[in-house]
Amino acid sequence: MSKIIDLKGSILSLTVLHIHSEDIEQTKQALAAKVEQAPDFFVGVPVVIEPHVELKDPTFLALLVEYFYQLQLIPVGIRTQDKAIQEQAAYAGLAVFPAEKKKKAKEKAERKVEGPGEPTTAMTVNGSVRSGQQIYAKQRDLIVMGSVNPGAEIVADGHVHVFGKIMGKVFAGSAGMTEAKIFAKELNPELVCIAGMYQLSEDIEPQYKQGFVEISLKDDKLVFNTEILN
Amino acid sequence: MSRVIVITSGKGGVGKTTTSASISAGLAMKGYKVAVIDFDVGLRNLDLIMGCERRVVYDFVNVVQGEATLKQALIKDKRIDNLYILAASQTRDKDALTKKGVGNVIEDLKADGFDFIICDSPAGIEKGAQLALYYADEAIVVTNPEVSSVRDSDRILGILQAKSQRAENGDEPIVEHLVLTRYNPERVETGEMLAADDVIDLLRVKLLGVVPESQQVLNASNSGTPVILESGSDAAQAYMDIVDRFLGEEKEHRFLSSEKKGLFQKLFGR
Repeated sequence: MSKIIDLKGSILSLTVLHIHSEDIEQTKQALAAKVEQAPDFFVGVPVVIEPHVELKDPTFLALLVEYFYQLQLIPVGIRTQDKAIQEQAAYAGLAVFPAEKKKKAKEKAERKVEGPGEPTTAMTVNGSVRSGQQIYAKQRDLIVMGSVNPGAEIVADGHVHVFGKIMGKVFAGSAGMTEAKIFAKELNPELVCIAGMYQLSEDIEPQYKQGFVEISLKDDKLVFNTEILN
Repeated sequence: MSRVIVITSGKGGVGKTTTSASISAGLAMKGYKVAVIDFDVGLRNLDLIMGCERRVVYDFVNVVQGEATLKQALIKDKRIDNLYILAASQTRDKDALTKKGVGNVIEDLKADGFDFIICDSPAGIEKGAQLALYYADEAIVVTNPEVSSVRDSDRILGILQAKSQRAENGDEPIVEHLVLTRYNPERVETGEMLAADDVIDLLRVKLLGVVPESQQVLNASNSGTPVILESGSDAAQAYMDIVDRFLGEEKEHRFLSSEKKGLFQKLFGR
């Protein structure tokens, strides 16, 4: 036998009516004027009510719902955090929707502020990265002012600069940037990796473990260069 | 102002409890009012080393769970005034401790006018250890001069700066100190042990002191005496130095190199 019912989540687009007046007559008039502009458009449209003022009149909602039906609109719910209005909604037979999250709008605003002109600066760690810690610099360079201790992991989508000694694992260009480089004051790592190509400590020549070193990727091979400062 | 100090290490058996007992006793001898709490619920040791295991009626868990008052559970040391011990429970496990419960006990101790509240952490990085360090203002990290102990200390230092209340609230970070125990300069010279400089170089924490490896520590522990009270012994002097440095005194580090045997000692084979 096939299923009789099925409960599934779905995202629907609804019309939301913002209310900025606590006067019911004023609201009714405004609503009638709006509907008059395009009567056919509003027939049978489900509407969510969102009050932006404190509704002191406890009958406001009931009267409004009544008026909705007269205009052939279908009130389905209310969106508010006001406890009193939520209670009224229960009497008026309306569903209560959670308040709109403002986060997205904020995020967008923040992104706008950044703009295309401003560069993304490197992530900086003041001090050492300790065993068990993981640091990820997403879509930028990483600068570590101290050492990367054994058992620590640092990852960057860009270059990695370490002003101490690398003794843990280091990943540069982790999102695939093959031009990424690793710079270290001293290197004795567990593993170094650029854009997916890695090398373990035992495969690194001891001569590269003495002092300042630059690691880059050439023809899918890691190249160690200690001469860069000379 | 009360200071909450956690004594921690990550690795087990490095001398956390020995250090807790001696530092607490040392601070109390200086006239401060000190409470030392054993956080190693289920494996209590502190009361043994402090020599009060037969006087435990109520323990830390009883207080945290509201089954006893702090006054009932605090054991007053018989040798030193101003020193109080809060023993761990032998029969429960670490789940018996809650963050809120521990916080209440520490608040009560502060209100009682304790100058120092010493938290003797269990080994590991699990719940017990995290609770011991959560409320700390300062941390004394105990390390042995060998690779695995240093690695674990590095790990716990990371946790101190990430999971403590100070870290969560964005307050001033926990002040870190290092105590190097079981140090044997002769074995450092032969390369069997890491040198103090190598340990400090990796951990980047200020050294509070070095405690030499010695039979006296074991003897003192077995007899239920904090080794700092065995005056005259190297370990007691080392811990006394540590207490002085902790209180802000500048003192030169000792016990870092092996003593040269004198001619007479050589002759008589001592």
